[in-house]
Amino acid sequence: MRPLDPRLLRQARAARSYVLLTTALGVASAALVVVQAFAIAFVLGPVVIATSPGGDGVVDQGGTARWLAVLAAAAAGRALVAWAQERFGRRAATAVVADLREQVVDHAVALGPRPPAGATPSDVATLATRGLDDLQPYLVRFLPQLLLTALVTPATVLVVLGLDWVSALIAVVTLPLVPFFMWLVGTMTAGTSERRLATVERLGSQVLDLIAGLPTLRAFGREVGPAARVRSLGESSRRATMGTLRVAFLSGAVLELLTTLCVAIIAVGVGLRLVHGGMELVPAIAVLVLAPEIFLPLRRVGSEFHASTDGLAATHRAFAVLDLPADDGSRPGADREPETAPAVAGATLVLDDVSVRAPGRDVDAPAHLSARLALGTGLAGGGRVVALRGPSGAGKSTLVLLLLGLLRPDRGRVVVEPAADGRTDVADRAGRGWWDQVVWVPQRPAIGPGTVREVVTDGHDVDAAALAEAARTTGLDAVLDDLPHGWDTAVGLGGAGLSVGQRQRVALARALVGAADRPVVVLDEPTAHLDARGEQVVLDTVRAWRAAGRTVIVVAHRTSLLELADQVVDVEAKEAARA
Amino acid sequence: MPESLRHRAARDPLLRLAPLLEIRWGRVARAVGLGTATLVCAIGLAAAAAWLIARASQMPPVLTLSVATVGVRAFGTGRAFFRYLERLASHGVALRGMAALRANLYDRLARGGADVVALRRGDLLARVGSDVDDVGDVVVRALIPAAVAVVTGLGSVLLVGIFLPAAGAVLLACLLLTGVLAPWLASRASRSVEQRGAAARGEVAARTLELLEDGQQLRVAGRLDERADGLRAADRRLAAATDDGARVAGLSAAIEAGAQTLAVLGCLLLGIPAALAGDLAATELAVVVLTPLAVFEVTTALPAAAVQLRRSREAARRLVDLLPATDGVPGGPRPAATDDATGLELEEVSAGWPEGGRTVLRDVDLTLRPGGVVALAGPSGVGKTTLLLTAAGLLAPVAGRVRGEGLFVAEDGHVFGTTVLENLRVARADVTEVDAREALAAVGLTTWLEGLPAGLDTPLGSGGTDVSGGERRRLLVARALLAPHRVLLVDEPAEHLDAATADALVEMLAGLARTTGRAVVVASHRLTPLAAADEVLLLGPGEAPGDAARVVARGTHDALLHEVPDYRWATDREGATLRP
Repeated sequence: MRPLDPRLLRQARAARSYVLLTTALGVASAALVVVQAFAIAFVLGPVVIATSPGGDGVVDQGGTARWLAVLAAAAAGRALVAWAQERFGRRAATAVVADLREQVVDHAVALGPRPPAGATPSDVATLATRGLDDLQPYLVRFLPQLLLTALVTPATVLVVLGLDWVSALIAVVTLPLVPFFMWLVGTMTAGTSERRLATVERLGSQVLDLIAGLPTLRAFGREVGPAARVRSLGESSRRATMGTLRVAFLSGAVLELLTTLCVAIIAVGVGLRLVHGGMELVPAIAVLVLAPEIFLPLRRVGSEFHASTDGLAATHRAFAVLDLPADDGSRPGADREPETAPAVAGATLVLDDVSVRAPGRDVDAPAHLSARLALGTGLAGGGRVVALRGPSGAGKSTLVLLLLGLLRPDRGRVVVEPAADGRTDVADRAGRGWWDQVVWVPQRPAIGPGTVREVVTDGHDVDAAALAEAARTTGLDAVLDDLPHGWDTAVGLGGAGLSVGQRQRVALARALVGAADRPVVVLDEPTAHLDARGEQVVLDTVRAWRAAGRTVIVVAHRTSLLELADQVVDVEAKEAARA
Repeated sequence: MPESLRHRAARDPLLRLAPLLEIRWGRVARAVGLGTATLVCAIGLAAAAAWLIARASQMPPVLTLSVATVGVRAFGTGRAFFRYLERLASHGVALRGMAALRANLYDRLARGGADVVALRRGDLLARVGSDVDDVGDVVVRALIPAAVAVVTGLGSVLLVGIFLPAAGAVLLACLLLTGVLAPWLASRASRSVEQRGAAARGEVAARTLELLEDGQQLRVAGRLDERADGLRAADRRLAAATDDGARVAGLSAAIEAGAQTLAVLGCLLLGIPAALAGDLAATELAVVVLTPLAVFEVTTALPAAAVQLRRSREAARRLVDLLPATDGVPGGPRPAATDDATGLELEEVSAGWPEGGRTVLRDVDLTLRPGGVVALAGPSGVGKTTLLLTAAGLLAPVAGRVRGEGLFVAEDGHVFGTTVLENLRVARADVTEVDAREALAAVGLTTWLEGLPAGLDTPLGSGGTDVSGGERRRLLVARALLAPHRVLLVDEPAEHLDAATADALVEMLAGLARTTGRAVVVASHRLTPLAAADEVLLLGPGEAPGDAARVVARGTHDALLHEVPDYRWATDREGATLRP
């Protein structure tokens, strides 16, 4: 696994500027480390020599003062660099995460209503909210240290080489040993730690499962028994975890041993060369100060390693979603050119031997469906109600997606025959042009944010009388009575503040007045959470739509709606023919 | 002052949770000791090397340096060794604490009178896992590093101070900057980011979820771009909150980076005149100046420790809130039913939730005999679940008396992540395979069981075989049938099922009650299947708005169809899905 995914730099513009900034700050911090070492050596060296037995007790005051000023500047410089890294680095990292989140969400929506496994709304939601947050520690803590290792380590080694080639040689020999031994320990223990980690996770989830099931256990009066089990599971989990850690900490120990031992060896070597007069004191002090700095970034990379694995895993999952082929042009996309779809008034929707393979099953639902749905004229009295009927799993909702042009049939065609002539494939001509003529009321309509009035009028100018009439028809008036501020009650994002049933009524009212200019209404009839009175509301609303000359295509579960329909389409699933 | 300090300590959730962690202080001391040894090696390496070089430059006989050379090498080796042991020791302490905390939490929740309201809030329980981890982390990331920092920090101040007291003071001042001020700032920054960012973060999550779940609708409605812009704006607000915190966090980082050089500078400024005046030997000057370079390692972990401490405290607060304030089951022991032939008796019972104090439903009389089936009907929110919980003894009645015991079968009963058989054994420990097969057959799950890869030994739930909605409901009923309870209180057995399956399930439940001599109360919002019940209690709103709900009519399904026009109308609307 590469420590920095190049796709991150290509796709996320914010990531490029982040890496540039961090690199620049890394170079600055390397320079400051070297400057500091020299300043200390040039101040301390002469004083030690002067005050040693046999020294003259005199130091060059001017030189000392100059180097002390340099040291003070280095202190300020290091503080400034650290401040800038934290101040701007964090901001840039947040921008990278936001950038990637928007790309992933946009792309996931563009995948249409049947995304492949790994890109379902819940998968992507987990990735886009919690998963990508793992990128933050990776960017803020791991990546800068990695860049410092690449910049500071060679730079300091070069400086040490200029001061004392033996010390530089020791460092150069040790440096490659660090990753080598870490790799060696890693591969030797990989199997063990993975097995143990699986055990740890299993034990942990069993404890949580028992806690989550506590209400159920209490209902059965069986809550006391598992207490001992929770304790023993905890004990086994601890033992398994300690086993993992004993192995996992080994590589950290190797890193630590090699780096500190190397610093010690350099110090002893420098000391012995000083005794024999093979070296001057000032470079010796500089080498001593610089030696730990050679290894510091590498040690921090080691300690932030877990941040890198989580962050990289999140990046990989993000790119796995982004790499899925989006709309191939044959499917309507939000970004498609606005098409001039044929006007639907008086047209006919033709289903021509349509089949769609149900996801994960060897079943076509719907299977070989042919029908002609005559649409309303758009004039008062010219409305129509088309009911889609069939047992659950027959493909009624799939058929709705086909009619909306969100899904393309695996076999057959869905076309619009305008009142004039010519045929247009819905899936080809969908997109804006077709959607501008349709209002879709699914089982869980998207509502808000805004006041109830804003949601229902949907930006249209609707007079109070029409609004009150719509509220009466759709049963919204009863909902408004229960709301604290009536029409002016604020509805949160996703309809927060309203129950599912209330949301449904708001959506019905919106389709009645706010989207009155759209001639086709597609309604997925709500069954759950709707009592008999709620159903009367749906019937009244469908009648009102028809009276206004609109076409209502409704997935119907109940006899009352089927009785109302001008046309009933029977949908059924069939076992798919073996290809 | 001490009074208020004690008061504050008593309120600190971490301290209140501490006894549940069962920390053994000997083990903590061992971890701190090993951590101190690690840093002593690091600082010792720097000090010994500084002395070695200064002394070597005076070109003494090589033998006089042998102690220093051995010391440098020993410190260099010892550090990794002690560090490894310290990490194991501190993680051992934390893991023991976490295991004990989990067990004690479970114990308290199970034995204590934690009200069902809290327990039924799944989100709280779902967080328990990560909250326990956060509380455990306080040991590894905050407690032990802080103790080690105090011991070694003071030790090195002492070392430098012995040679030159003023330099020791400078070092102490700089250590206080990095060890107290910087962590305090870091903690403040992270709090401000989390508090101010919480709203923005929540909005980002909500908008992300809306776009993903309703994305197709939004595309059709032409509102996708508008909502995507909304997400971008929310992300910008989140970035702004992060930015505010970064200002303070930047200050903390600057102090940390600058303080080390500052300490060296201070030691030089104080040490050079002292050395030139002959008060400080050359070798001692080297030690005084170069030791601080290594000392600041002791405080590097502290900003993170402060942040962790705050997070752990918040996690601890959530856990403390979850714990029951008092022990004991609400309502106390239950009187038995008046005679053996009666399973459960409700006498003028009013039911409600303890928190709001509002009575939801009042004056319910109900007598259940073996084999009897009573249904509760009425709109959602009328108080069917509240009444069932009260009848089961999981809620104390607001007024009236409940005699006898019943088993509450929740609509969202938990399917444990274990085998089918073990899931059924939740009802009773001695359920045999034969019992299990019979119970599954009774609810019509034989075909499902045959289709499972390992039969009764097939694991279910997370990580196991997925169970569909209908199968799950049946499994919960099968489990209830295996319990020794003679009265089953079943809440919405058919929620989220299609009409035909739902009606069949309620009918089956009624049939099973009669054949096994159990009494069943079933709450249902669908009316058609209630024909199978002996008696239907129709619950409705009180007379005036805001009044508690009450029983508006009772009788057999057929009687209600004739007598209550609303009931008839509502049943008719459901359509004839029960039988073709």
